[in-house]
Amino acid sequence: MLRHISVPLLVGAVALAPLAGCGSGGGDELVIYSGRNQELVGSLLDDFSEETGISIAVRYGDSGDLAVLIDTEGDESPADVFLSQSPGAIGFLDGEDRLVELPADVLDQVPAHFRASDGDWVGLSGRVRVIVYNADEIDESEVPNSVFDLTAPEYEGRVGLAPSNGSFQDFVTIMRSMRGDDETLEWLTAMRENGVRTYENNIAIREAVARGEIDFGLVNHYYNEQAKAEDPDTPTENHFLDGDDPGAAILTTAVGVLDTAGGQAENAERLAEFLLTREAQEYFATETFEYPLAAGVDPPSDLPALDSPASPEIDFSALGGGLQRTRELIRDSGLESA
Amino acid sequence: MTAVVIPVRVRRFRGGPPIGLSVAGIVVAAFFALPLAYLLWHNIGVGRDLVDVLRAENFLDPLRRTLTLAVIVSFGATALGTALAWLLTRTDLPGRWFWRIVVPLPLVMPSFVGAFALVAAFTRGGLVDSLFGIEQLPRIEGLWAASLVLTLLTYPYVYLPVSARLESLPRSLEESARALGRSPREVFRTVVLPQCTGAMWAGTLLVFLYCLAEFGAVQILHYDTLTRAIYSSKLYDRDVALSLSLILAVTALAVVFVERRHARRRVQTEAIAPTARIVQNNLGAWRYPALGFVVLIVGFALAVPIAVLAQWTARGIFGTAELTARDVVRPAITTAGLGLGTAFVAVAVVLPIAFLTVRYRSTSGEVANGVIVSGFALPGIVIAIAIVFFVVRLPNYEELSRSIGLLVFAYVVHFGSQSLRAGQVAVGGVPRRVEDAARSLGVGRVRRLVTVQLPLMRAGLLAGAGLVLLSTMKELPATLILAPIGTETLATEIWTSQSEGFFAEAGLASLVLIALSGVLTWLLTIRPSRARS
Repeated sequence: MLRHISVPLLVGAVALAPLAGCGSGGGDELVIYSGRNQELVGSLLDDFSEETGISIAVRYGDSGDLAVLIDTEGDESPADVFLSQSPGAIGFLDGEDRLVELPADVLDQVPAHFRASDGDWVGLSGRVRVIVYNADEIDESEVPNSVFDLTAPEYEGRVGLAPSNGSFQDFVTIMRSMRGDDETLEWLTAMRENGVRTYENNIAIREAVARGEIDFGLVNHYYNEQAKAEDPDTPTENHFLDGDDPGAAILTTAVGVLDTAGGQAENAERLAEFLLTREAQEYFATETFEYPLAAGVDPPSDLPALDSPASPEIDFSALGGGLQRTRELIRDSGLESA
Repeated sequence: MTAVVIPVRVRRFRGGPPIGLSVAGIVVAAFFALPLAYLLWHNIGVGRDLVDVLRAENFLDPLRRTLTLAVIVSFGATALGTALAWLLTRTDLPGRWFWRIVVPLPLVMPSFVGAFALVAAFTRGGLVDSLFGIEQLPRIEGLWAASLVLTLLTYPYVYLPVSARLESLPRSLEESARALGRSPREVFRTVVLPQCTGAMWAGTLLVFLYCLAEFGAVQILHYDTLTRAIYSSKLYDRDVALSLSLILAVTALAVVFVERRHARRRVQTEAIAPTARIVQNNLGAWRYPALGFVVLIVGFALAVPIAVLAQWTARGIFGTAELTARDVVRPAITTAGLGLGTAFVAVAVVLPIAFLTVRYRSTSGEVANGVIVSGFALPGIVIAIAIVFFVVRLPNYEELSRSIGLLVFAYVVHFGSQSLRAGQVAVGGVPRRVEDAARSLGVGRVRRLVTVQLPLMRAGLLAGAGLVLLSTMKELPATLILAPIGTETLATEIWTSQSEGFFAEAGLASLVLIALSGVLTWLLTIRPSRARS
């Protein structure tokens, strides 16, 4: 009988043993908390480590979760530098006063509206908001050029959006700063009343458009690019909106150095510098289908030039602090329970 | 051993529990109480006024929807899990050995993958449509869809403890009943079912709590519950997220309280170690309809999602994605190690509480029970952040954050309820007579535990380990936050790929996760019972 007990017990004890030593040791490496996915930036960060000889340790996760983790860890956070997928998450840390100012020569490489007004973070690449549509069913001329048109009766029940998703929330914050809270709430409510379909994220929206479940979706341009890379036959296409429309907003990914960097602060700044070099910016343009924000690198060939949809000039650093109000507006519009 | 059975109540000791046991119980409970302590501290100590926050969030409607879903799924999963357990342990259903491996597996499907795949399969333009040209498919959304999907994903919470109970249940009772001319159905209703109530309730409670904290599937299926507000506030707005989490915890505690009062009154039959002989009901004409039923369930819960995952993977292989086996081998080893390790830690640490609650009328045991069980009703991210909140105050936080200790701790706090409920069923199945006999022969307490009690509780404890294992292997939010930097599990691989639209890699990692779970479940819960019989 004892034999039967001890075998599984042994398995359990042995199972954990090899894992005990798998953490990275020592405090002599640059610790990066990355809200940007490993699939997207992993090899770029490895390049940085190789070229500079700085050893790195990267915790990948959701931008929002990592920002809250850094906030909870407080002064004891092992993190030296934060890569954010969205302006909202890094804006939150900025609002909590956890970022230190970047050197002017780093900041100056990107246009003023793609960095924090207090100089605490700098944008790296941009994802542009688009309307994704099903080209098998819809002609591009039928796709509206403003998100405000989507409340018209002809679009009833044909549009999808993701109210709980970070990128939609950032887009709404931008709309608020361009058009004010009242008009934003009006639009959100009108969308709900027009039978908009809600989804969990950009990917689910694009899939639904591809299946023909809905005709239009409010998403970031990236997801259609990635979908095309995996399945060139997919019928979805991106439609870029007029530049002065909130629906054409550019959401920046960003980097910021944390106040817990200590002895690693210099290496952290070197990472920020590296991510704005031509090499890194070209990587964003070719590997992640994103708009490069610095070094005069051209955007991916199938995207309109960054200034042709003249990107709305937004103070992105206002996004973090304003996120709570944005969420309240979305909640009050009833969209989330639609 | 013989199969002599005398149904009696499980007797409890008249006096209090041994001091050592009580102390162990209190220490264990204190660790499990960290998330609750964090919620209370934030909501009462530092946050905006709790009542104001809750009123603004209009939480009653989402709470009502959460409870409706939890009740429906609890009933559905209990019926389904029990039926499957009986069919696979007590009948001559064809291919039982195979079904025993695959039937528990839906539990390992991360709900965001399972629900996403089911929607992708059955929606217009999806897999079923493109294969069979069925365009008139209903929309998969709302209460009915969420209930159905969650029932299919959670019935293993009932199936595993109930089939463990059936395994350790003496067949002689059923034999007698059948000798007296009762039909299999009557035997099931009057003899088997009453003996499984404890195990059934254990599973039902887990299903209920799972539904409280569930997020991925309900969001995909457009069913607006309390967790949505927690996740959409992203914890930036901790006043909202943590006050709603407190509501979840209080709901869980209330349900546990009611359940325990019920459990105390329940008559439990003592079971003696099973006979080597397996008695099976001859299904007769029902053999193939029963087989069809099992095929249908496994088909929807497992085969359809697997088909979708395989489609994603294939699309990538023939498309442009770069798939390499190496990407999944190391995460698979890590996942298996973490899962097995956590499972055994989780079974071991809650054992004192299982004894305290089942053997003694110990109030501290009941409190500990409530604290442990409520951990399952909280979102994983809340548990992870709560643990960081406390541990960061220790002088060696940076060192701790580089070990797997914190992660295993979080897993145990999150999933300890599963091993506890299974452990309570197991302790309830150990007849006091056997122990008394051992004691009268002068056998010490530790030796009694190892030589008498543990062997008798084996099936139940392993079922608990199996539940924790499957839950741990798919856990995501706490893993991302607390794993030592550089640790990759299959769940993080799936998330990494799927969240940015790399479906081929997400599909491959999911398939490996399901296959690995199958192997481990077989090793852990099926092979031992086959070896014995």
